[in-house]
Amino acid sequence: MLRVGLGIQTIFYAVSLQYDWNYLFARTGHELVGPELPEALLSTQSPLVPRLGWLTAVGIRIGLSESIVLSIAWWLLVIAGAALVAGVFSRASAVVAWLVHLSAAKSAGFLCYGVDNFMTIGFFYLVFAPLPDRWSVDQRWQKARPQDRQLLGFWRRVLQLHLCVIYFFTGLTKASGTGWWDGSNLWRALIRPPFTGIAIALLELSYPFFIWGRRTRAIWLAGICTMHVAIGLAMGMYLFALVMVVLNLAAFAPNGFVWKICASPGANREQPETCREVEAH
Amino acid sequence: MRHKRIYLAWLVLHFLIIVAISCREVVWLVAHRLTALPPSWSYLAQKVEPITARALGQTLASSNPLRRAFLTYCHLAGTERGYGYFAPNVPDSFRLGFGVDYADGRSEYTLPAVNSRAAGLRVASLLDEIGRTPHPALREYVVKTIAGTIWREHPDAVKVRAVFGVTKLPSIVEFEQGKQEDFEFLYGYDFSRREAAAPLPQP
Repeated sequence: MLRVGLGIQTIFYAVSLQYDWNYLFARTGHELVGPELPEALLSTQSPLVPRLGWLTAVGIRIGLSESIVLSIAWWLLVIAGAALVAGVFSRASAVVAWLVHLSAAKSAGFLCYGVDNFMTIGFFYLVFAPLPDRWSVDQRWQKARPQDRQLLGFWRRVLQLHLCVIYFFTGLTKASGTGWWDGSNLWRALIRPPFTGIAIALLELSYPFFIWGRRTRAIWLAGICTMHVAIGLAMGMYLFALVMVVLNLAAFAPNGFVWKICASPGANREQPETCREVEAH
Repeated sequence: MRHKRIYLAWLVLHFLIIVAISCREVVWLVAHRLTALPPSWSYLAQKVEPITARALGQTLASSNPLRRAFLTYCHLAGTERGYGYFAPNVPDSFRLGFGVDYADGRSEYTLPAVNSRAAGLRVASLLDEIGRTPHPALREYVVKTIAGTIWREHPDAVKVRAVFGVTKLPSIVEFEQGKQEDFEFLYGYDFSRREAAAPLPQP
């Protein structure tokens, strides 16, 4: 789920910025802000974090223009995204998508928002998670042994815990603001959707507590995904909505889905792997 | 067994970092009285803030290898910031407009333009950064850079005036009284042709 979801996310991310790619990242005098300042600020924090300036420098050294290097970076993202969806060269694709996206995000600096942060989180876990998974093309080509289920469960648990921390602190900071209690934010919600008052803060704040229970998981997962879809539709933040839904489904949906299969009376008892997956978590 | 211990150690460290960074953000909000909590909490948070900063290595020199390693890890893992989106309150929208003057006395008003909605969200994020930064020089540099794009789109302009402000939404009571959203002027910058042609300051 995480691999396919992030693959789709990467393709959408690249395609949505297709016509503004050079305008956002070039340093030829035709850019909006340019990567010089964000990259200089990044260097004061860490000189080892990847940035597009590195790619550009390498490209110029071998005789490529900056716009060609940026086009290559864009195509790398699209190809890596497509490869992730199919599960072809899964590990290499995950690494390429992670590094190129991270480079773009860090070079964009002030032009970044939450979606870049969450994509980085997703890629970071994907890069280290057991790959290829059993649904990937790699698995069929290489006929490799299925990945260690315990390790798979570990990485899913890390993602689950991370999401709980994210929602808890998002809810906590929202709940600490006056506007979420006195109704003024609800009012602003009417003018600037999709904020629907304290319900959002409570949904996020309670997420770490109710997402684990068998009976409440489906409700909270549906609620949180609905909230993100609403944000995406109302504010046009489609990429942000997509990455959050992907992370949530990757962390929690498969278990719920598998539970349903295992728990139903007519469930096929010939699915030991699927059921063991539940036990691993 | 050894691998399990390594994974467990990493897990603990990873989540300690995430929780510490998130806590630091909450403490900062409370310390700066941006929350609904009473002032006594702010006083307490002001006492706690340096401790959280020290715990995250923010008091170390920027060249300190430990601090650099920590920040590198945070950037690679996407854990370098907290998760207080739209919190503690829904923010106001910042706006940046440009007045373009021509030699024949004509004037027009224009906005920074991008080709897609996805890029538009990024420009909105940039405007938030300009509005929130406590560094006037940084604000001026970024506005000046954006003004450069306006110059390129209007090569025969003689002067570009940047107006940066915030859109204030009315409260419920104000709206009932017929008040609409308001634009509040925050900063203004004038750029002449000569100034725009000069090299931009190095960061």
